[in-house]
Amino acid sequence: MSIAELPSTPVTPPLFERISAAKKVEMVRELSALLGARYVLHTPYDLMLYEYDASIDRSTPDIVVLPASTEEVAAIVKIASRHNVPVVPRGAGTGLSGGAIPIYGGIMIVFARMNRILEIDYPNLRAVVQPGLVNLHLSNALNPQGFYYVPDPSSQRSCTIGGNVGENAGGPHTLIYGVTTNHVLGVEIVTPEGDIVQVGGWTCDTPGYDLTGLLIGSEGTLCIVTKIIVRIVHVSEAVKTMVAVFDTMDDASNTVSEIIATGVIPAAIEMMDQMILQAVEADTHAGYPMDAAAVLLMETEGLREGVAEQTDKIVNICNKHQARAVRIAANETERQLFWAGRKNAFGAVGRISPEFYVQDGVVPRTRLPYVLRRVAEICESYGLRVGNVFHAGDGNLHPLILFDSQIPGEVERVRKAGHEILAVCAEVGGTITGEHGVGIEKQEEMALIFSEVDLRVMQQVREAWNPHQLFNPGKLFPMPGRCADMKQL
Amino acid sequence: MAAIESFATTLQQYSNAIQTVSDPDELRNYAVDGLLPRLAVIPETVQQVSQAVALANHLGFTLFTRGGGSRLNLGGIPDRFDILLETTKLTRLLEHEAPDLTCHVEAGITLAELQAKLATKGQWLALDPPDAQQATVGGILASNASGPKRLRYGTARDMVIGLRVVQASGEVARSGGNVVKNVAGYDLNKLYIGSLGTLGIIVEANFKLQPFPVNERTLLLTFSNAEDAMHTVTALLGSPLTPSAIEMIDSRAASDMTDFFGLTLPTNGYTLAVNFEGSTTSIDRQVNETLLLARKNDALLGDDLVGEAQDQFWNIVREHTRGTVTCKAVVLVSQIANYLKTIEQVCQNHELEAAVVAHAGNGIVYIELRPGDATHRLVEAIKELRLYAQVARGSMVVERCPSDLKRRISVWGEPDQNFYLMQRIKQQFDSKGTFVQGRFVGGL
Repeated sequence: MSIAELPSTPVTPPLFERISAAKKVEMVRELSALLGARYVLHTPYDLMLYEYDASIDRSTPDIVVLPASTEEVAAIVKIASRHNVPVVPRGAGTGLSGGAIPIYGGIMIVFARMNRILEIDYPNLRAVVQPGLVNLHLSNALNPQGFYYVPDPSSQRSCTIGGNVGENAGGPHTLIYGVTTNHVLGVEIVTPEGDIVQVGGWTCDTPGYDLTGLLIGSEGTLCIVTKIIVRIVHVSEAVKTMVAVFDTMDDASNTVSEIIATGVIPAAIEMMDQMILQAVEADTHAGYPMDAAAVLLMETEGLREGVAEQTDKIVNICNKHQARAVRIAANETERQLFWAGRKNAFGAVGRISPEFYVQDGVVPRTRLPYVLRRVAEICESYGLRVGNVFHAGDGNLHPLILFDSQIPGEVERVRKAGHEILAVCAEVGGTITGEHGVGIEKQEEMALIFSEVDLRVMQQVREAWNPHQLFNPGKLFPMPGRCADMKQL
Repeated sequence: MAAIESFATTLQQYSNAIQTVSDPDELRNYAVDGLLPRLAVIPETVQQVSQAVALANHLGFTLFTRGGGSRLNLGGIPDRFDILLETTKLTRLLEHEAPDLTCHVEAGITLAELQAKLATKGQWLALDPPDAQQATVGGILASNASGPKRLRYGTARDMVIGLRVVQASGEVARSGGNVVKNVAGYDLNKLYIGSLGTLGIIVEANFKLQPFPVNERTLLLTFSNAEDAMHTVTALLGSPLTPSAIEMIDSRAASDMTDFFGLTLPTNGYTLAVNFEGSTTSIDRQVNETLLLARKNDALLGDDLVGEAQDQFWNIVREHTRGTVTCKAVVLVSQIANYLKTIEQVCQNHELEAAVVAHAGNGIVYIELRPGDATHRLVEAIKELRLYAQVARGSMVVERCPSDLKRRISVWGEPDQNFYLMQRIKQQFDSKGTFVQGRFVGGL
């Protein structure tokens, strides 16, 4: 069952009809001739694997293709365009907003075979990769030489860099270093016409519009990325990871606000509340206290001297705000254990609830205490349990609302609570998504932060490049005819 | 087309406080590449900008937007335009949320004024382009201006978190917001930054800010050749050290600075200025390790600048990117030494002189070519320098030059294969051509 689909009684006809059996046969034949039959999936059994991502929506593609080269991607797009069949690109399917869900079926391009590192240039701090490369695999390849790729989504062991580019993915360590868009210099793309175009490049400040910046985070609605030029950086000399334990959420969030306000910007500040701590401990045994109200997981990195000073400052601030304890990881094993607890948090919650729904609002960091209280109140008013595990240093909330879709009416309550939480984020000057994307999930909520004019101006870009919505149709913007439902809330 | 007088009258009806200039003598102050507007408008509010643009769009007039005018010379010769809109009266700091390290500001404020206000709370906008006294925030964003410290802090695209932009229709559209992380909708901030006013007029901006560094120190090193200097640079970049700026200054640029500004830089070889920020202990250690690296590459050790001398040094270095004919080449860092040789060779062949200052850690080389009036020789040299930059996977833009030279060269270089995608965007955003064309890449 899908939360996003519940209220959706679209007034307008769908953008694309499902393709007929006859057309499907014809397209499978054409695509098989292009790629080889092995790399064209079309039986219900095969397709089922591609009907989901990490959001709660489902929709089955009609055909899944696994190209091995940019040229093949371009040829696939031309076939799709000729038949007027939508195309949805998919990395690893770890997206949380439905970006890889083929709402209208059609062709899904899967990049599992385009997963190579094409080039690494250490003196110039660049790497060129294919979109299907798993995020962590790049850093693993760079590590022996002392380098890494910064953006580190929690799903980095499986998510792909192509998907990261599509969603402008973040991660815990983006607090000082920035998100995907700050680390990508150029991309090769395929347009809806099937043209192969180079955008940006190896060097910075390419003359003309910053198309690279525009495309990153466009959620597959403007182009399909087939090659990515990224910046790589030297691994820090020293790193200190610490866990601070608090008896109230307010103390923890005030600590975050003060750390930022004093200008000490660590590499990461993550917060986990009691519900999450209990789930994580049951799962990872990282040594988090289960009776604490909240824990901050913080990391500073850089030169030895700087790290030592920052650590002292942070510990002082934690103590000032009544931290019950501050523990500094004694060694790399303990550090990895702290992080394992954080990075497995979503999975751990799966042990205590059949389903959960994660939100992704961002608020000014000074408003964290207020917003966290509101989140708790909202969930309580709907009789729902909520846990918080999030990038506190960025003000990027991830409330996880637990639910069981077997209970009648529960999904509807979750949906309403989620919407109210985002409304609170918007009300304090924040946004509805910090790193997960709009996708299908937050289409209606776009209206909470953008006016009609704002949205129309954005849609001019889609109109310029993907006017028929051949690529990833029906995403990112409020759908005509659906808004009314949400506004009543 | 309606008469310009009717534009002025109607605009006054909307808002009788709006300042306009129609006197032909006064309008000379608003010339761009010798072209004069028929009217200059200096709005004081976003609403007035919006009204002026809506009216121009409705009546079919063409607008040229400027801020403080410090980079007015950038770009090709514009097509004819009717109205010049100056944003310098939009100067309010709307919000400085210091504990959140963000601010919201109107785009006509000068960078210097904004920095002064932010400084009262110990913070700054980490952009250090030249001419902060004159350059407005809007102009800096529209032209994507940057400075030496981009090595550490990045450029406008890394610190803008939200913009309000007056569209060709006169409507005001927001992109981004005022939080530091945001992926809701297309990232139009990136599209507007560096678009030189071709898509809209930036009227407000939200920024991520930085706290002042606790301490700062600049090390000067001199090398007899560019290879040694660049070996030091790549070693620094490939180390855990975290310099905030690495500037390379060639002997001609060094002697300019010595002659005109009283700096005492060695006037032979290549000088590297390496800036470190942070706590005293971490700076001390970084300076020591940099000295070791530099000695290995046969450096002569120069001054160690702090305080006012340091500030003055960087001001002068920044200003050196503003000669009569100044080109900005961007190449791979590993190609800089080669590229400098190419510059020497090309200049020799065409009997020109070059003074070079480079953001060596970013691959950005500012080349001042002289004499600035040797138009024919300059045309040839620029072509060659651009070609070599492209071979080194880069590009070259002629950032400043006389109008006469502009007519004979392509300031931005020939558009890429992706140009049609840019044209389609311009078409969508400004189908009537309300914002003056001709200046940006490919005449956009």
